Amino acid sequence: MRNISSLLGKLAKTMSVGMMLLFAVTMSNAQDVKEGQTLFKSKCTTCHSVTKKVVGPALAGMTERHDEEWLVKWIKNSQAMIAAGDPTAVQLFEENNNLVMTAFTDLSDDQIKNIIAYVKDEEAKAAEAPAGGGAEAGAAQSDDANTFMIIGLIAIVVLAVVVIVVLNRVIRTLEKVIANNQAAIEAAQARNETVAENRFAKFAQAFVKNKKLVGFSVLMLVAFLAVAGWNTLWNVGVHQGYEPVQPIKFSHQIHAGVNQIECQYCHGGAFKSKNASIPSANVCMNCHNTVTASEHYDGELSPEIAKIYRAVDYNPDTRAYGNNPKPIQWVRIHNLPDFAYFNHSQHVTVAGVECQTCHGPVETMEEVYQYSPLTMKWCIDCHRTTEVNTDNAYYDQLIEAHEKLKKGEKMTAAMIGGLECGKCHY
Amino acid sequence: MKENMLAMNKKNFLGSVCAAFALAAVVSSCGDGKTRSTGWEFSRNMYDPIAFNPDQPNENFKNKITAQLPPAGTNPIGFERFEFANSLEEYERAGRELTSPLAVTQENLAKGDALFHTYCAVCHGPEGKGDGPITKERSVTDSRGTRALETFPPPPSYQKSDAASSSRGGAMSELSDGKIYHTIYYGHNSMGSHASQLSPEERWQVVMYVHELQKK
Repeated sequence: MRNISSLLGKLAKTMSVGMMLLFAVTMSNAQDVKEGQTLFKSKCTTCHSVTKKVVGPALAGMTERHDEEWLVKWIKNSQAMIAAGDPTAVQLFEENNNLVMTAFTDLSDDQIKNIIAYVKDEEAKAAEAPAGGGAEAGAAQSDDANTFMIIGLIAIVVLAVVVIVVLNRVIRTLEKVIANNQAAIEAAQARNETVAENRFAKFAQAFVKNKKLVGFSVLMLVAFLAVAGWNTLWNVGVHQGYEPVQPIKFSHQIHAGVNQIECQYCHGGAFKSKNASIPSANVCMNCHNTVTASEHYDGELSPEIAKIYRAVDYNPDTRAYGNNPKPIQWVRIHNLPDFAYFNHSQHVTVAGVECQTCHGPVETMEEVYQYSPLTMKWCIDCHRTTEVNTDNAYYDQLIEAHEKLKKGEKMTAAMIGGLECGKCHY
Repeated sequence: MKENMLAMNKKNFLGSVCAAFALAAVVSSCGDGKTRSTGWEFSRNMYDPIAFNPDQPNENFKNKITAQLPPAGTNPIGFERFEFANSLEEYERAGRELTSPLAVTQENLAKGDALFHTYCAVCHGPEGKGDGPITKERSVTDSRGTRALETFPPPPSYQKSDAASSSRGGAMSELSDGKIYHTIYYGHNSMGSHASQLSPEERWQVVMYVHELQKK
């Protein structure tokens, strides 16, 4: 017994020592990687990602391409190395379209080594994840496939046997029936038909006899047609609730809701002009030169974002634009009749009306629909209750003009804006 | 007796009319009101403009676009061309030679503030610290389920206290008028050109507000 306990004791000791050593090793590693991570997030992610090219090249494998001392020098001041004529540095600079990398003279050698350790760590994780995951999924799939195939085969054989047996029996009984009593079958069929006819006729007769029921049914029909007609007539030309399918599945819920991009980032015309303006595709490219949503499409470009690239003829591999753009034909939702004049800037900039007042909760709409009826009644209802802010140059001029009139001075049309082009040519 | 029966019938009749209308109204108001079609229209030609809308396709032009680009080399009235090219040397030159034509006033600063929040804060953050909403982890729940959205690479902070350096040399907090204007005009690294979204005056108002953020 004593032997065993001492043996166990020894084992426990060695194990605990081993554990401590292991812990110490991982601790020291974790320290490096962790500091590297914070530094990487604050200094590098503006231009670099470990796994993919952003502005600068993907960092995975950089320790294989260059030795650590060289990397430290490069990160501290790449331009000095290029100026000094380091051949690798010059080559790297030219390979990346002569883009200047920020000089990080404020980082110590140790800090840079921590960043490199972090990149190596991420690189290992990235290499592991798809390979390991893929193998597991593959194994599980092949197992599943085997059992599925065996069960399927057995099921098909059993089903075939059953079908053969059943068909045999059906054929035999049919043959018997035909041989024995063909005339009887015909007679029975004829009888069945007359019975069905009689039933329908009886029902119709009963319905017609019940005057109250007939009256109510007719009334229902008339009422239904009246309500439907009333609604339809009132909604002729009113597109409220119109939600057409757009050429790109653009979600306002993601862009205006989750991303909190202000409406005017894209629809800037609402500030300055009659039209709120549909953004040209260069505005999309401000973000989508980088954002490709590839993690949802197995590393491939999202098919919807690919439509923007096609529209502006952009090649994501070379990050260059061609000269064959094809405009996106969005489907217009809000269409005020041409005989009614509406100006966005008057409502947004002067009156300070929120976009949502007329367009509804666009920031929650995955697909945009027309929220307001845009009828004359709808405009007038709002104009009846909205108070006007008179604290602007327009009313100052108006009051000034009235003062002049009171004094008996003459006023020409030109003095009150009669020479503005837009007064006639809008 | 006969009159009594007539009255009864009238009541019944009115009752059933009301019931019929109520039922019809309920049935015909079903659905969430969204539709793929514009519904019935009367004299559609009164809705469509006689002149072309800028977004409309147009058979009269070779490229079938109504909004044509102005001919090369022409300037709109009152338009001043930005005479600096998109290169590192020209960026440095803009930094040396270009200064804001606007006076620092409360009005200009307020406009710069509003414009910064609309056009810049999405990435640069409301305080210019490079922590705008699209640089952060976030997720969306819609008809395709819940999924994380890609984060945009965060830009370096403008603020003096963060002491971030610019990729084209110098500290972010010391970028001059011309350098900021050049970057708004052409974009840099992950940032695209914002020239189509901001007029020259608006760009200078934004530059003025960025200088305020740099002091922090």
